[in-house]
Amino acid sequence: MSTTPVTPQPPQPKTNRIGLQILDYRGGKTTLCAGCGHNAISERITEAFYEMGVQPERVMKMSGIGCSSKSPAYFMSRSFSFNSVHGRMPSVATGALLANKTMRSIGISGDGDTASIGMGQFVHLMRRNLPMIYIIEDNGVYGLTKGQFSATADIGSKLKSGVINDLPAIDTCALAIQMGATFVGRSFSGDKKQLSAMLKAAIAHKGTVMLDVISPCVTFNDHEGSTKSYKFMQGHEEPVAEVGFVSNFEDIAVEYDHDTTVDVQLHDGSHLRLRKLHEDYDPTDKARAMNLLMEAHANEEVLTGVFYVNTQKPDFTEMLNMVDEPLATLSPERVRPSREVLAEIMAEHG
Amino acid sequence: MSQSFAVGIGGAAGQGVATPGDIFAKIFSRRGLHLNAYNAYQSIIRGGHTFLTVRTGPQKISNTGDHLDLLIPLNQDTMDRHLRLLTAGGACLYNADLIQPGAPAAGVQLCPMPVSNMADITRNKVGQNTLAIGAALSMMGVGFPALESVLVEQFRKKEQAVIDENVSLARAGYDYATQNFKPFAWALPMTEARYAVLSGNAAMAMGGAAAGVKFYSAYPMSPATGVLHWMAAHARKAEIMVRQVEDEIGVVTMAIGAAHAGVRAMCATSGGGFALMSEGMGLSAQAEIPIVVIDCQRAGPSTGVPTKTEQGDLWQMLGAGFGDYPKVIAAPLDIADCFKLIPEIFNITDRFQCPGIVLCDLLLSEGRLSVDPKELDFAPVIDRGEMITSNGSGDHEPYKRYKITESGVSPRAIPGLPGYTHVVSSDEHDEDGVLISDEYTNAGKRRAMMEKRMRKVDGIAASVPPPELYGPANADVTLIGWGSTYGVIEEACELLREAGISANYLIVRWLVPLHGDAIVDMLRDARHTIIVENNFSGQFARYLRSETSFVPDGNIRKYDGEPFAPHHIVEAVKEQLAGKTKLSVPVHEIMV
Ligand SMILES: Cc1ncc(C[n+]2csc(CCOP(=O)(O)OP(=O)(O)O)c2C)c(N)n1
Ligand code: SF4
Ligand SMILES: [Mg+2]
Repeated sequence: MSTTPVTPQPPQPKTNRIGLQILDYRGGKTTLCAGCGHNAISERITEAFYEMGVQPERVMKMSGIGCSSKSPAYFMSRSFSFNSVHGRMPSVATGALLANKTMRSIGISGDGDTASIGMGQFVHLMRRNLPMIYIIEDNGVYGLTKGQFSATADIGSKLKSGVINDLPAIDTCALAIQMGATFVGRSFSGDKKQLSAMLKAAIAHKGTVMLDVISPCVTFNDHEGSTKSYKFMQGHEEPVAEVGFVSNFEDIAVEYDHDTTVDVQLHDGSHLRLRKLHEDYDPTDKARAMNLLMEAHANEEVLTGVFYVNTQKPDFTEMLNMVDEPLATLSPERVRPSREVLAEIMAEHG
Repeated sequence: MSQSFAVGIGGAAGQGVATPGDIFAKIFSRRGLHLNAYNAYQSIIRGGHTFLTVRTGPQKISNTGDHLDLLIPLNQDTMDRHLRLLTAGGACLYNADLIQPGAPAAGVQLCPMPVSNMADITRNKVGQNTLAIGAALSMMGVGFPALESVLVEQFRKKEQAVIDENVSLARAGYDYATQNFKPFAWALPMTEARYAVLSGNAAMAMGGAAAGVKFYSAYPMSPATGVLHWMAAHARKAEIMVRQVEDEIGVVTMAIGAAHAGVRAMCATSGGGFALMSEGMGLSAQAEIPIVVIDCQRAGPSTGVPTKTEQGDLWQMLGAGFGDYPKVIAAPLDIADCFKLIPEIFNITDRFQCPGIVLCDLLLSEGRLSVDPKELDFAPVIDRGEMITSNGSGDHEPYKRYKITESGVSPRAIPGLPGYTHVVSSDEHDEDGVLISDEYTNAGKRRAMMEKRMRKVDGIAASVPPPELYGPANADVTLIGWGSTYGVIEEACELLREAGISANYLIVRWLVPLHGDAIVDMLRDARHTIIVENNFSGQFARYLRSETSFVPDGNIRKYDGEPFAPHHIVEAVKEQLAGKTKLSVPVHEIMV
């Protein structure tokens, strides 16, 4: 028998593939209401970036204004953050990514920030297919200004005060698909498994990812008569497919049934595995995706899952045929045109 | 008064006024002459009335002047409206088949050209223009080869037959005039100098390229569109990311996003577009991200007069956005200055991390001026201010993006730099970007941040020179202007001196910061002060008064859409010195 004393090794903290701990992806303490759907989304984002092993310093978090838009403070403190103005995050993010295309970006918006004041910028962002993740934390109301209806509130839904919404909802997913986003889906802040898989796939995709995440506002829109409450979602969530994700550093050979499951290889080699729950489901077909959404509206169902994914379309930076070196980090000698170019330009004005 | 020669060409939009204008401009600049050109037009693509004036001479030409030496009316309308601009010694060249001459002033030569006898222009709609150019150059004493080479260049993208046809038309016009018309008494001189001919819009765009601008965004709006066109045409060559955005709100916020990532970003618009950019001005100031916005003023309010000039946006610029914040506003004095101002203002906005506004106007944006290339410094100093671009040893204090400093400037790090992650926000924040209204609003922090930002105002003022007073001391009258009226005020002062009234002038280029004390010092002993500006309410006069309590003896204002001509100012000064009025609003004699 050995008599060497054994000093127990302290348990090694778990790390991801770049050696960082989950702590390295955490943000500040939330100041949102306890139970707000937005908080759950922040947690899922934290986990997804940790699991995918993204270097936090390479990420720009962007947002507009609203409770939702405050969320970037509550995840990934080691990333760069820009709280812009109400409804203008799409343009700020576009400018920033064009100036430095080597950065990654995740934008957090609200249904007010996107579907009302920011609608113009939103649709134009979708058209660009800018490589970024755009999340709408959708609660059907303006949380920060104390609960007025937003443009994603369903017709007939009721405010706490009893006011009935008399206008139809804007379906941001349908818009995003039509406008050219290349990864579009809807989820629910309370659906941990689905949201996590969708976020990880979003990180693996290169192009605009638009996720509308139903995120109940416990303070202003979680009552009877609301169609964005926890209770309503539990009763009406209708996944079009079960979303599975196999990252490029996991074993891709996991078996799946080719008849019932759509496999999409994403840009980084990861795979999105979508097991059909709906007969007409085909996430590579724009028209079918739109159809499903329209039918769901008619049936008063809240469809969730990945509706559309297109890995063929070039993203904005590829489309613009940009030089490899980011404009933002050109050396001082390189920021202005060369002598030869200037001479050519001056000759035009002779 | 130095010698000059002014040509006016007018016709309906689509009749080809621009090409003869370009040809004259090229010929003048290749003879080593200066020139100044202005095109009066309307916001329609066909029809309407376009009138282009090109004035040339061996010395600097600061404006298009009061009269014409040569008029080329391409239609009857132009003959009827503009013949009166010709003075003794001048001439009017016109197609006698189509146009009835009017009654010119004494000493004006009418030069009818029997166009249908001279050439078959049934296929070439603008043939009459080429005939007239040929005739005009013969009368100016310019040899034909100069014209031939410019024509070959002008039509180089067309087939040889087109070039040959135009050269032979020009030749026919040239020979006809040599035989039938009296040459001008003053043959165009030639000098060794060589000038570039630039519009203000091209000059601002080139100034941006020289300043190292890497991102330009815009939404088309007259008269700022020329900057976008220049940028788009040179984007590849100059490696500038140029984006046409969905509206001006997106234009300015996209520029802010790019600047946040680390590049110099610029955008241009006119008053209506700028109105949409107001929220971006506040964002730039609060987030402390420098950008430069060019506002090419046109007559307002609202859609206003899209193709006419005004200096009516000053108060919009002063009040853009809400809350108090540091900013810089400068008005270029002429087209060469449009170039020079851009690198200067970028250095200030970068050093002080605030928005900068270039307050240009249609007169400069769309006007053209000969500029000595030596005046254009393509390698101006680029001062990015306190910017952290590398993490060096990696050892440093925890980074605070909005660190409270004596100068009010907090060193800026760009996204992607490890060890310098930070939060940028439009909400009021503390030193590390955390929103102060999130828990309880800390009055002390708010005050400290406000004072930090506003301390930059002193630094900005120290980096910008006060204006200067030009001309003799103890003058009978001192004219005060800002921005684009510089050229016309300068000439008006010369004309006043010729008329026995001594005049000096003070032109303001930096509007914010203003250096009000220095201005008041300069004006203290002035005998009679008059503020000249292109707007209704005397926007600059009101601003100067609000900053300094200074009230001038009189004002000259014009708000009819057209720029001042020198005689407008001269006559107004005379009536004011005679005690007839304190406010003159010169009438624009000709409708264009
Ligand atoms: C230009 C402008 N108008 C109005 C506001 C006030 N405002 C702040 S947040 C907000 C709505 C936010 O709603 P949403 O985006 O749905 O975010 P939520 O708070 O519901 O998460 C409004 C109207 C503002 N900040 N700026
Ligand atoms: S008001 Fe609503 S949206 Fe805002 S934090 Fe509270 S629960 Fe969330
Ligand atoms: Mg909301």
